[in-house]
Amino acid sequence: MLSALPFYTTGCGSSVASGGKPGEMVYYTEGGDIKGFDPVRASDVDSALAVCKIYEGLVEYDYLYRPYRVVPRLAESLPEVSADGLTYTFRIKKGVRFQDDPCFPGGKGREVTAEDFIYSFKRLMDAKNLATGSWVFAGRVVGADEWTKASEDRSKPTDYSRPIPGFEAPSRYTLRIRLLEPYPQLLWVLTMQYTFVMPREAVEFYKDDLLNHPVGTGPYRLKRWQRNYRMEFERNPTFHGQLYPSEGAPGDREKGLLADAGKPLPFIDRVIFYNVREYYTWWQMFLRGQIFTVGISKDYFNKVVNTDLDLTPDMVKRGILLRKEPQMDVYYLGFNWEDPVVGGGKTPEEAVRHRKLRQAITCSFNQEQIKETYAGRMIPSCGPITPGTTGYDSKKTYPWRFNLDLARKLLAEAGYPDGKDARTGKRLHLSLDMGGAGDAEARQLGEMYVNFVRQIGVEMTINFSLQPEHWRKLERKETQMFSAGWVMDYPDAQNVLQLWYGPNESPGVNHCNYKNPEFDKLYRSILTMQDSPERTAIYQKMADMVVEDCPSAFMFHRLIYALLRDYVENFKPHDFPYPNVKFYKVRPH
Amino acid sequence: MAAYIIRRLFSVIPITLGVLLLVFLIYRVIGGDPAVRLAGKNATPQKIEQIRKQFGYDKPKFFNWQEAAKTGRPMAVFDAQFWQIVRQFAQLDFGRSLQSNQRISRMIADGVVPSLCITTPIFVIELFVAVALALLCAFYRNSWIDRTFVVISIIGMSISSLVYIMLGQYFFAFELGWFPVWGFESVHYVLLPVAIGIIYSLGGSLRFYRTIMLDEMYQDYVRTAFAKGASQRQVLFKHVLKNAAIPILTNVVVAIPFLYTGSLMLESFFGIPGLGRMTVDAIYTGDEPVLFAMVFIGSVIFVIANLITDLCYTWADPRIRLQ
Repeated sequence: MLSALPFYTTGCGSSVASGGKPGEMVYYTEGGDIKGFDPVRASDVDSALAVCKIYEGLVEYDYLYRPYRVVPRLAESLPEVSADGLTYTFRIKKGVRFQDDPCFPGGKGREVTAEDFIYSFKRLMDAKNLATGSWVFAGRVVGADEWTKASEDRSKPTDYSRPIPGFEAPSRYTLRIRLLEPYPQLLWVLTMQYTFVMPREAVEFYKDDLLNHPVGTGPYRLKRWQRNYRMEFERNPTFHGQLYPSEGAPGDREKGLLADAGKPLPFIDRVIFYNVREYYTWWQMFLRGQIFTVGISKDYFNKVVNTDLDLTPDMVKRGILLRKEPQMDVYYLGFNWEDPVVGGGKTPEEAVRHRKLRQAITCSFNQEQIKETYAGRMIPSCGPITPGTTGYDSKKTYPWRFNLDLARKLLAEAGYPDGKDARTGKRLHLSLDMGGAGDAEARQLGEMYVNFVRQIGVEMTINFSLQPEHWRKLERKETQMFSAGWVMDYPDAQNVLQLWYGPNESPGVNHCNYKNPEFDKLYRSILTMQDSPERTAIYQKMADMVVEDCPSAFMFHRLIYALLRDYVENFKPHDFPYPNVKFYKVRPH
Repeated sequence: MAAYIIRRLFSVIPITLGVLLLVFLIYRVIGGDPAVRLAGKNATPQKIEQIRKQFGYDKPKFFNWQEAAKTGRPMAVFDAQFWQIVRQFAQLDFGRSLQSNQRISRMIADGVVPSLCITTPIFVIELFVAVALALLCAFYRNSWIDRTFVVISIIGMSISSLVYIMLGQYFFAFELGWFPVWGFESVHYVLLPVAIGIIYSLGGSLRFYRTIMLDEMYQDYVRTAFAKGASQRQVLFKHVLKNAAIPILTNVVVAIPFLYTGSLMLESFFGIPGLGRMTVDAIYTGDEPVLFAMVFIGSVIFVIANLITDLCYTWADPRIRLQ
């Protein structure tokens, strides 16, 4: 859940500078502080970017192909799926070795087997590990929840010899996953770092210090890590190999993205992450050529991008390219369904009035003005489904887009003509909670919201909080309205639609605390449906229900503008870019 | 003296208990549920509940009367969240960060050296320069030299530290390339942040020490010294400086705990992996174990630093007796 507005992020991009030994390809990147190298806890973007350089899973996203699809990584091929969709059988590649590490006898990494995956999946489900990714198997895999329950007892170590019936290894290189019910998102979640394979030896050797000593199979290994400052990865000499993709999306060949098709990966010898905090510093490092890409903050936007939204000649002369990337996310203002004024209402009559009030307020928000303020760095949102996801329709119009006449009409119908309560004559006063206290952009946005609703005679107070405090209020259902956002975990609308599923109410992800039995029924039905036109139609129906009921006023999807040095090759924006540095190449410069 | 020291050291207990209670109230009573943060983005209510149970977040905040009544053990009343933290800290176990799961003791050990690399030279150099300039102002009091320094120090105090940092980084690192823009690799990397730190803190200190010196200059003993024929130099260095030592010491000691907490702005802009950044990150992410540890250590250092000051008072002024 996000509520600050990081418009200047590079969309998980990275940065580069010259340096290193002659002939050596070094890649300097900007990255935040990480939670450590334990895949089961790597829930934030920076940790995922770090972990995915070292660890690998059964499958990964196709780097070039769009729409997104999954390709095998440590699996030999995509799994065989049983007719009932409940059993997935993976054949594991032979000859893949863990990197050399003191945790192994003689320091030599051993071969990966199906049992290693089962062990890694058990670690993910072990309650003692506080795995932030256990949701990927919880309630889905046969016996997984029972195993987790048994692992909760802190007085004794978790018994890893106890099997999880849903994970089986019929042979050394065969892994079988048995599900309680069809799980169409299984392959998507298997691309996530939580499910990556790690050796038992490393866990037992490093114990609590495991998060500082990654032992994976991936293209890189950790050379040095100075917390809060710098991480250095070097090529893993025992990497089992991977070839640059030979197939891409239309237009990739023309852009030169297939020039290295079939060549062995990785191209880059060393990857260095610098943890730069201040945008001002970040910007200077980019201009000095110390980093290759930088997001453009609002304050710098006009200096580098002209009115046609192209680069200024000075930037072009410096060998800088402009990246424009729509993000797979959605930002919205939520109404607390339990609030007596804007909530779901206790009687059918009240429910109708409250719905009209929410719609009226949404109609007063001028998305175009927000877009202008943010220098065009956003796509106005028409609903919960994000760009790039099946079910997203860019041509769709939002019924509650800015329309003051409609807003006033709905407001009157809701019992607040001219913004005053028809019964008491008192002006309607709402409160909106926003995170990002102290952030100038958030403050500016808050002031805009106040001015928007004032046009229809409604007063609004903005309560700014630091992020933890904002979360706390949402968890405790203490808000009337709140700002929030969601960045997709995988390209399936189910991931975002869970935000309005009744049983997920706060402290779960449904911070609107929206309850609609029909929506919940549809949500439960899509959980087991494979990708199909029928499922897409249900996604759209659910999105329409949320739009109509208006528990959230949908505001925008981010459009990231970032700058890129032209000596970086094979760079293609990706919504899930975590392992992608292995595809990049740095031209001598 | 020994009894005094022991008594003062014992004051660590109520002071640290007090600050722990304050942070506990802010983060655990008024603040949010750490279990939600630990559970992550897609956590189900069941998962959150499981974590609550696992870490004792489901226990009462201060007193577990229910457990005491159930078990019949009076001490079970302390089987509550606050006392769990107190017990842990009494054993000097700071636990793990909610955010990174790293051992907090290790995080502090990693961050304290970079922080001290910045704050200690700033503190020492700035102290000596400020005292020396204050003496100079006292020596040339009411002259153009004194007035110039007063004006400079007022200007220095009035400008935000952010301006010094941004201008310094832009001109000396970005434009002129004399220093690295960012990083912590060698002495060369800390020169610019240290220089900027000295410049922006000098104004306030100079004003403060000048006031102390001038205050002393109008004391009877100074007049007596001059009457006896002592030179300006002798009066300043032998008499004024020694008598000004007590307020200087007090000011210095107040600053010592902040050496350990680091300098947030300098660390953030110049990429110094110190404790300042770590603490502010902990505030922004609600990483309460890190904050507990930082305030605990900070309060212990503060008590010890105060004790050392008291001991130094006896050296600076033999009339002072510690009882």
